[in-house]
Amino acid sequence: MRSGLTRSIAALFEDAHQLGSLFGRTLYYLLHGKREKGSVARMMFEVGNKSLLFMCVTMGFIGAIIAFQTGLQAKKLVPDFSMIGATYLKLLVRDLAASLGALPLATRVGAGIAAELGSMVVTEQVDALRMCAADPVDYLVVPRFVASVVMGTVVLIIGGFVAYLAGMAVAQMVFDVNPHTFTNLSMVTTGDLTLGLFKCITYGGAIAIVSSQRGLATFGGSEGVGHATTEAVVGSCFAIIVLNLIISTLGYFFVPAL
Amino acid sequence: MIRLEDIHKRYRSPVLRGIDLHVPAGCIYALIGPGASGKSVLLKVVAGLVRPERGKVYVDGEELGELDDLGLASVRRKIGMLFQNYALFDMTVFENIAFPLRRLYDLPDTEVRERVAERLARVALPGTEDRDPSRMSGGQKKRIGVARATVARPPIVLYDEPTAGLDPVTSQKIYDLIRDEQRAQGTTVMVISSDVSGVLSIADRVGMLHEGELVFDGTAEEARDSTIPAVRQFVHGLVEGPL
Repeated sequence: MRSGLTRSIAALFEDAHQLGSLFGRTLYYLLHGKREKGSVARMMFEVGNKSLLFMCVTMGFIGAIIAFQTGLQAKKLVPDFSMIGATYLKLLVRDLAASLGALPLATRVGAGIAAELGSMVVTEQVDALRMCAADPVDYLVVPRFVASVVMGTVVLIIGGFVAYLAGMAVAQMVFDVNPHTFTNLSMVTTGDLTLGLFKCITYGGAIAIVSSQRGLATFGGSEGVGHATTEAVVGSCFAIIVLNLIISTLGYFFVPAL
Repeated sequence: MIRLEDIHKRYRSPVLRGIDLHVPAGCIYALIGPGASGKSVLLKVVAGLVRPERGKVYVDGEELGELDDLGLASVRRKIGMLFQNYALFDMTVFENIAFPLRRLYDLPDTEVRERVAERLARVALPGTEDRDPSRMSGGQKKRIGVARATVARPPIVLYDEPTAGLDPVTSQKIYDLIRDEQRAQGTTVMVISSDVSGVLSIADRVGMLHEGELVFDGTAEEARDSTIPAVRQFVHGLVEGPL
């Protein structure tokens, strides 16, 4: 029991070390790498366009559910819905749009990255890259990292907007809140926007790094690719939750909510 | 040119156990052995793609264990490699073959095109630059792999099972291509194969791996006449024996 726990902790530290190392090399090659023309644009299309519909639908449902539940609880405490839109928007901007949106994004983007890189490992394409003087981190990870950071942020912002519109629709249909009343920006500060944006960027980067690390560590055949893909999704979601805790805690001290 | 000293490597169980090997410059060295005897791992050790737990690997005088990633990348510039699973990228034939040239050298586009066309003619696939390798036959993919492995004119070329899954005629064509290429360029070649008769037809020297150990090292003729039971059984395809 004890040795099992020790092994798990050791494995956790080993994973953290490998992720840190990959992140460091990614930043290095981001500045000094030799990328193929159009590789970042191709990845942006993969991450952005192909995730957009899925994210909009998912965030629409999530936004509607949150607004409905918030309204129900608010009704019991203060039967006044004049500030529900402002509170809802602050919650979305500061946390939920990024944190809840990043989870479905991790399943879509993370699984794609890990499966693609894992397949390249088991078909020896990654070894072939090394033999052709192309570092896999430079050639494969950096374009995915940039695309995930940029397009992940864009998609999360759009998803947050869709969630807001869905919440507005629910507020009007269920609680009879006028869209004009719901659209209240008074509670959102620059600090909230900064914190939300920082979370989007961080989650986008985390999804790419965790999934790439899992993909490049694939061992074995198709079973190994499946295993890597599952680990990438689980690892990305776990990373998002841990990062959310850390960033939200720091945000509580440095960007206090009103 | 290539020297291995006491190479040990294990994954879940030992894969390579105390391999000592020397491949002289300008030689075709065939590494034979039954499946899962460690041949592919040994080739990747030579290429610096797998680091051994113990032992030293010298390639063109440089000890790979002492090199960092940049140093390894520099040694790999001297090595071309054909992979067992082709390892062709999701690109056209031209882009696949031009890839090492573009990564290794800053050549003008016209020279890259000329070099690729020359390689494609050499592997009997002229005019296939714009084709998608995934839609080509196994033999054609192998030949594209050979073209990519040799396009940068490396002094060392490693071939991992160049004829696996191919019919006998195509296999012999691939072996002839490897030999002709080696003669034309004067390269040092290591070929691993389970196809004994084919690979012995082109090899200057032969080594046999069995359960991670080098049980034979000699000429092709010595391999055919060997009295070592495992070598005799494998080379002559006998049913009875220790394998």
